[in-house]
Amino acid sequence: MEGLLAGDDDAVRALYARYGRPIYSLGYRLLGTRESAEELTQDVFLTAWRKAARFDPTRGRLSTWLMTIAHNLAVDRLRRETGVSRPTLVLVDEVPDAPGLDEEAVLVERDAAIRALSSLTEAERRLVGRAYFRGMTAREIAETDGIPLGTVKTRLRSAMIKVRKANEGKELL
Amino acid sequence: MTCVAVRDRLTERVLGGLSARDATAVDRHLAWCAACRKEAGELERASATLAFAVAPSDLPEALEGGVVDAVRRAAAPRGRGHVSGARRSRLTLVAALAAMLAVLGTGWGAVMANRAAHSDLAAQREVARTQSALERFQGLVRSLEFGDPENEVLLGSLNPAKIGGGGGSALTLVSPTIADMAIVLVEGMPVELREHLPLTVRLRGPEGALLVGRIDGDGLDDSGAGTVTREFGDLTGYDTVIVRDIGGRVVLRGSMQTRATVTSPSP
Repeated sequence: MEGLLAGDDDAVRALYARYGRPIYSLGYRLLGTRESAEELTQDVFLTAWRKAARFDPTRGRLSTWLMTIAHNLAVDRLRRETGVSRPTLVLVDEVPDAPGLDEEAVLVERDAAIRALSSLTEAERRLVGRAYFRGMTAREIAETDGIPLGTVKTRLRSAMIKVRKANEGKELL
Repeated sequence: MTCVAVRDRLTERVLGGLSARDATAVDRHLAWCAACRKEAGELERASATLAFAVAPSDLPEALEGGVVDAVRRAAAPRGRGHVSGARRSRLTLVAALAAMLAVLGTGWGAVMANRAAHSDLAAQREVARTQSALERFQGLVRSLEFGDPENEVLLGSLNPAKIGGGGGSALTLVSPTIADMAIVLVEGMPVELREHLPLTVRLRGPEGALLVGRIDGDGLDDSGAGTVTREFGDLTGYDTVIVRDIGGRVVLRGSMQTRATVTSPSP
């Protein structure tokens, strides 16, 4: 983190080597173009540099912090660019493994994601997908589906508790 | 905001669906409430797990360099970065070229678009001006030890998508021995465009588009001028520059047309 704060090339490269692909992949799958994903990746690292002093490792993991930044920036962009057609979302358990591409830490995170997805029912998966990967608010989902806002919130909360519990007790880096 | 109200909003917060107003109120509460903060932390971890659920994509080769460069540039003005001697001389080159483009860019643009040829005299003056610019540029490149005879430089002008929409210039350096480089300068950007920043500058070529950089409010001076530069692995064939505003609308567009091969200095 000190290296990132100083804009040290090696520190940024090390961080990129570990998290560049997941961040870029999130951008590509959410925003749909390589250009947008590139811009998002650059923005994430710039934001991380700006906020590096505020990162507290005792409060959370680096991967959580970085991917939260990535998701927030991607969703902001999704909301700004209304009317743009979105790509079909492809999740990690729908494609074959690509061994050798990523560090062990990222593979562990990916396994955790697969466990989390498999803990959800198909309906929950669709719901979480619309909220997390499409940037829809609970209110928007409620209005689209014609169901009470409270019901959507309860279902989202229940799904996120399942995601959380799916990896309880697992050692994540 | 009470703990109950905060917890009611935590799921939406980690999914990105909370309004800015609610998010601020929740964050204010989390700053002092350890119990809610613990709950928020657990949900954040769950949410970050979902971020790893998207299928992995192939990383563009040039992206790492762009990221490193962007952070280095952001860090440098605050005196926190380290700029090597070689990089400093290259940045000097970039700054000098950008300044030259700023002065001469309009002239190149006018020549290439044949819009300056209201009279033969005016056209001749513009051609002479362009020639002079190229000679000065070649001298500059040689003096800064980037004068490999195999280096190839392309110059181009950027034209506005609508009248009165500013302009600009671009330069690409394609080299077999050093990293390729692009410099794009925009100028005279209209005031109303400031509502639609940042501008995104891309080069189009045989393998799609490459991001040269973005120009935000801090990157534009009072006259509406700004510059982006970036190094690339290979810019061969990247001959179109497109500048878009935040809404994706094309603001400027141009082609790299004038070839200026850098030759070895005379003995």
